[in-house]
Amino acid sequence: MRTLIIPLAATILLSATLPGVAGPAQDEILKHFQEQAKMEFSVERGQELFTKSYGTGKPKTPSCTTCHTKSPLKSGKTRVGKVIAPMALSRTKDRYSDLKKVEKWFRRNCKGVIGRECTPQEKVDFLAFMISK
Amino acid sequence: MSVVKPICNQKEANDEVVVIVWDVFVRLFHWLLVVLVATTAITGFLGQEWWLNIHLWAGYGIGLMITLRLVWGFFGTNYARFSSFIFRPGKTYDFTRQLLRGKPDHYTGHNPAGALMVFALLLVLTGLTISGLIVLGGQEKQGILAGVISYALGSEVAEFHEIAAFLLLFMIAAHIGGVLLESYLSRQNLVRSMINGRKNVPLVKAAIAGKVVLVGKALFAISIIAVMAGALVWSLMRLPVSGFKVIKQNSAYASECGECHHAYHPSLLPESSWNKILTGLSDHFGEDASLDREVVKILNQYLKLNAARHWDTEAANNLRRVSAKDPLSITASPYWVLRHKDIDERVFKRNKIASKGNCIACHIDAGSGRFDDQMINVPDE
Ligand code: HEC
Ligand code: HEC
Ligand code: HEC
Repeated sequence: MRTLIIPLAATILLSATLPGVAGPAQDEILKHFQEQAKMEFSVERGQELFTKSYGTGKPKTPSCTTCHTKSPLKSGKTRVGKVIAPMALSRTKDRYSDLKKVEKWFRRNCKGVIGRECTPQEKVDFLAFMISK
Repeated sequence: MSVVKPICNQKEANDEVVVIVWDVFVRLFHWLLVVLVATTAITGFLGQEWWLNIHLWAGYGIGLMITLRLVWGFFGTNYARFSSFIFRPGKTYDFTRQLLRGKPDHYTGHNPAGALMVFALLLVLTGLTISGLIVLGGQEKQGILAGVISYALGSEVAEFHEIAAFLLLFMIAAHIGGVLLESYLSRQNLVRSMINGRKNVPLVKAAIAGKVVLVGKALFAISIIAVMAGALVWSLMRLPVSGFKVIKQNSAYASECGECHHAYHPSLLPESSWNKILTGLSDHFGEDASLDREVVKILNQYLKLNAARHWDTEAANNLRRVSAKDPLSITASPYWVLRHKDIDERVFKRNKIASKGNCIACHIDAGSGRFDDQMINVPDE
């Protein structure tokens, strides 16, 4: 039953609690991670993940904010100096629309910051936070 | 200004009259050349890379002036003609001995020593102009010879260009010394003569200071030269630049390797370095840049085909020698370090630059792999 109810609830919840910026592509990706997650996504947990300083990954990147800045609405910068468009979906419309890209960056950045891959729960939380912003 | 006496004044034979020795063209040529040579010397010896354009335009100007001077040397006024100051070696020898004794003969136009200097200056300036074009074509892949000169040849000729430039400095010093010495010995202000064209001349010699200008022939010669030079330049400019091509960016490379930094041009590292980068992407300069195996295969193909040895640009020729300690890094290579050693470390920390690896922040044309001197623009903040 769980496997059926959670995605269903999630889809309903998503459309109810998150602002209308998420298009079908983002919904699809959220659903993909929510299906594998244990709990319902939480915007608050997503924010915590984003701002927390871990220190368990690569020394030069203790936190997601190292590159993405503290505000999801602002442009970030890589170590080399290339500008990263804001992470908030409201600012960068084509964010979180390509599952392969999202997976690739979660893999890289979670390893780099936390020292391990992120769980589906962490991913869906993070996405929910960014989509709500 | 000396009092100008009428040219055909009936006086005694040993009296002096004032005649126009240097015509307007010769005077203009002389002083324009001074300005142009000074410009190339300043921009060349002290120059910043982005002064190159000024150096080039002054150089083209010198080439043009010399061409016109050569034509004038055949068809101009009497004292401008080469035939009026080509002396037998014996004459030059005699003059030198007289000079050493402090009593040189009077010459209305160039004296034998001065004449030698004029020819030597013209020769060295011609050599500098031509070698400059070869260096520009070979090293910078610019100008009319970009299609025919290799980087290696350009680099060798660059040494000649430099030596000739130093030689020119010495010759200019000798030339100025000679003019001052003759001015003193003959009690004439020769610098002023080159400004107003006038010289005091014994009456007996004044008769030949006429103005027999073959304007028609001069114009004819100039048009022939212009047409031939035009045709040569036109056909040379149609040639593709040797050892440089505009490549279509591989879309996988542009997106996968252009996310954290601009996609480095494949000519900036040798094949072996690219290979090592692609096999170590999970720890890529302290970051995880891992990719699917299929994507890595495509990138490997592209980088192998376009690595440094397939290019003849200045950057590719020099950056193919990587640092032994850090062969993956462009910015650790000896050439990169050498070329950027004058840039303060703080400059690289500026907001719009952030790191040494952000080539495109300072090199507008980094994406093409050219790295032209004129395309450098270091952001102020
Ligand atoms: C070393 C710098 C860096 C750090 C640290 C970093 N990121 Fe990123 N992140 C990037 C870059 C660069 C991109 C790709 C550029 C872009 O999409 O504009 C990116 C993209 C992403 C994307 C994909 C966005 C999309 O449009 O699909 C996600 C998701 C992401 N990051 C999550 C995270 C999370 C979570 C963390 C912390 C655990 C983190 N990042 C830390 C540099 C970083
Ligand atoms: C996750 C971000 C990221 C991705 C993706 C990435 N790089 Fe890098 N790259 C870096 C960082 C960070 C540096 C180190 C810059 C520094 O130390 O200044 C770097 C440095 C380099 C350098 C050396 C530059 C120098 O400063 O000398 C090369 C070459 C390079 N990368 C090639 C690649 C290639 C090829 C790819 C694609 C397969 C790639 N990079 C993808 C982050 C990345
Ligand atoms: C802070 C700005 C800055 C950055 C970043 C930078 N450069 Fe440069 N670069 C310069 C300047 C300035 C010069 C000219 C130095 C001189 O000779 O006076 C130069 C010279 C060069 C030259 C020689 C050009 C020539 O024709 O003489 C090459 C090649 C070059 N840079 C390549 C690179 C590459 C590759 C990178 C990135 C890995 C890079 N640069 C990063 C500022 C920069």
